[in-house]
Amino acid sequence: MKIKVVTNILEANDRIAAENRKVFDDAGVFVINLMSGPGAGKTSLLESTIKDLKGILKIGVIEGDIAGTDDAQRIDSLGAPVVQINTGGGCHLDANMITEVMNDLPLKDLDLLIIENVGNLVCPAEFNVGEHMKAMLLSIAEGHDKPLKYPLMFQKSSALILNKIDLLPYTNADLEKIKKDSLSLNPKLMIFEVSCRTGEGTGEWTKWLQSLVK
Amino acid sequence: MHEVSIAQGLIEIAIDNCKKQGYKNIDSIKVKIGKASGIVSDSLLFAFEALKTGTIAEKANLNIEQIPVSGFCDICNKNFTVDEAYVIACPICGGSSFKVETGRELNIDEIEVSR
Ligand SMILES: Nc1nc2c(ncn2[C@@H]2O[C@H](COP(=O)(O)OP(=O)(O)OP(=O)(O)O)[C@@H](O)[C@H]2O)c(=O)[nH]1
Ligand SMILES: [Mg+2]
Ligand SMILES: [Zn+2]
Repeated sequence: MKIKVVTNILEANDRIAAENRKVFDDAGVFVINLMSGPGAGKTSLLESTIKDLKGILKIGVIEGDIAGTDDAQRIDSLGAPVVQINTGGGCHLDANMITEVMNDLPLKDLDLLIIENVGNLVCPAEFNVGEHMKAMLLSIAEGHDKPLKYPLMFQKSSALILNKIDLLPYTNADLEKIKKDSLSLNPKLMIFEVSCRTGEGTGEWTKWLQSLVK
Repeated sequence: MHEVSIAQGLIEIAIDNCKKQGYKNIDSIKVKIGKASGIVSDSLLFAFEALKTGTIAEKANLNIEQIPVSGFCDICNKNFTVDEAYVIACPICGGSSFKVETGRELNIDEIEVSR
């Protein structure tokens, strides 16, 4: 016998994500799911954001990595509340992983929670974890063909942070092409050009974050 | 790259539906996977074969229907299909006002069950 099912395979994940979202809303914390390929600068951006907004926004962090606690230690040394998730090989965070750790953070005391996803330009974009907003980084050294090669993350993000612009003189990266292709995939995308190394451009980003949280 | 999670999810949904209807075995599962979903059929099949062992879907075949990326252009009023995983302009008139209608599917469509 045939049974018509017609269900999205990610429905179970989306249901858990909606429950997480409710917990975040009740606690009054704004949640960003921060994604990028490996090494684009997610943890570096978190470090500079936490420093720049010290005394202005209370920021907590969930670190998602395949293994290790290096990223969580970098955040912890800045005095921000942080928990580490190790996916043990998994290429993305899913909603259930967030459910398991989110109550280890003082959610009610936070203004902003940033979830650093596993470094991967493909898979994290497909899984909601209960965030209010997805944001992504692309470091300019990764090449200007990335938006059209990995369109999903660009389509699902509300903000694109183009990082490592201090390296522009040493690469052949075509910044205008990255911006043009990204906007044709997602006309509403907010684009920031920053260098976490020199601090250039990070002010625009932190200003925007403050406007979201208030 | 996340085919394992997808295979796990679809097996759970299939088993759930099978049991709810009072059946004991799943003989086949049909899924619709959009070309823009980033899912590689071979990897999904591989993960499915590994994960179904020891479940009531142990003998099930997985049939994957690939759904192309298609849409409708508001400027030339035509339906179109593209080979890429994205659309940045209507392939017929080059216009940039269009709706993408298919290609993101990640659905379990139908299961075949027996007692
Ligand atoms: N030149 C330059 N290097 C940077 C910049 N931002 C980050 N880096 C360097 O890039 C490397 C990776 O940075 P991370 O912040 O660890 O990147 P990530 O995205 O968190 O990496 P994963 O969590 O492993 O995916 C480090 O060596 C950083 O020092 C930048 O703006 N300019
Ligand atoms: Mg990191
Ligand atoms: Zn057209």
